[in-house]
Amino acid sequence: MKHTAIMIISAIAMIVLAGCRKPTTNIDMTNDEGKPVIALDYRDFDKAATAMVESLMRSGVLKKKDGSRYVVATGRIINDTMQRIDTDQLMAKVEQEMMNSGQVVMTSAVGGRGATDVMIDEMRNIRDSAQAEEFAGQTLPEKGQLVAPELSMSGKIIQRNIRYDKDTEQIEYYFQLQLTEIASGLRFWQEEKIIGKRGDRRNVSW
Amino acid sequence: MKNTVAICVLVAAMLAGGCGKPSADERVNVASGVGSDTLMNNIILRPVAKAFSALIGEGIEVQQTTLRTNDEGFLELQVSGYNRSYSIRRFDYIVEWVDKDGMVLPSKTNVWQPMSVQPKSKFSILSIAPRAEAVDFRMNTRKQPK
Repeated sequence: MKHTAIMIISAIAMIVLAGCRKPTTNIDMTNDEGKPVIALDYRDFDKAATAMVESLMRSGVLKKKDGSRYVVATGRIINDTMQRIDTDQLMAKVEQEMMNSGQVVMTSAVGGRGATDVMIDEMRNIRDSAQAEEFAGQTLPEKGQLVAPELSMSGKIIQRNIRYDKDTEQIEYYFQLQLTEIASGLRFWQEEKIIGKRGDRRNVSW
Repeated sequence: MKNTVAICVLVAAMLAGGCGKPSADERVNVASGVGSDTLMNNIILRPVAKAFSALIGEGIEVQQTTLRTNDEGFLELQVSGYNRSYSIRRFDYIVEWVDKDGMVLPSKTNVWQPMSVQPKSKFSILSIAPRAEAVDFRMNTRKQPK
């Protein structure tokens, strides 16, 4: 009798606890009305990327005098925040919009973290190795085919935590990008977008 | 008699002071509480005006949209307006660009952007088309999610 009662109570407790769980929902990425979060989320990257792209497009620096397209490489984008951020969250949007504008072509051959597509180097290593015999010679990349970038996009994401009052922390995120002509070293464009948040000090921003 | 004269002088001084506009140039907006009080905008009437403004629901008014093609062949948009209310208006806006066939040009910049406008002030929203094929735009607004 006692054993059965314990079993029933346990079963009820499990059902109640399971019922307390928040159901999983999909985020409406187009019209997200969710509350802001203290860390950087996709909405912040969207805002920063849009501000960067619009500033770059408006500046007119991507217009090449001879009418052709600039070859652009993504240099180093430093994550100087307390969060684990893949800087591609910002740069993928910026690069995509730059290419879609028809004014530039991005190179995957070189970049701040090496080639963005490892197969570019890999196929050249194969060409120069004994493995090359396994491939039809004319399908291997010849030497002197890669196009060097003319412009480099580099930048930084900075985080500053400031104590606002006893219970509130202010967190400032600085998104900085710059575009430099590789041959001359001259900087053609740069932009900064600041996103600020205030929240409970107990909220962790990493 | 002396009191009457004093009151008249005071009223005259208030009227004279109240006639002066906070800014002689309409391009320069002097916010309430920054410039001198006027006959219609002073410590007594300001709360009444604010309450009335809130009651009738004054807010953002779009006054003009300007489109131009820049040197690179991209359309640039400026939406100008005015915040009629006595409070800061924060809202989000989204701009979509369409081509000659009316098709929306997909872009990573088609996202809600925040905007904040001072009370009784003009504002401008700027946007640029993501591609040269854009010939027109459409814009939407929403209250900022809390």
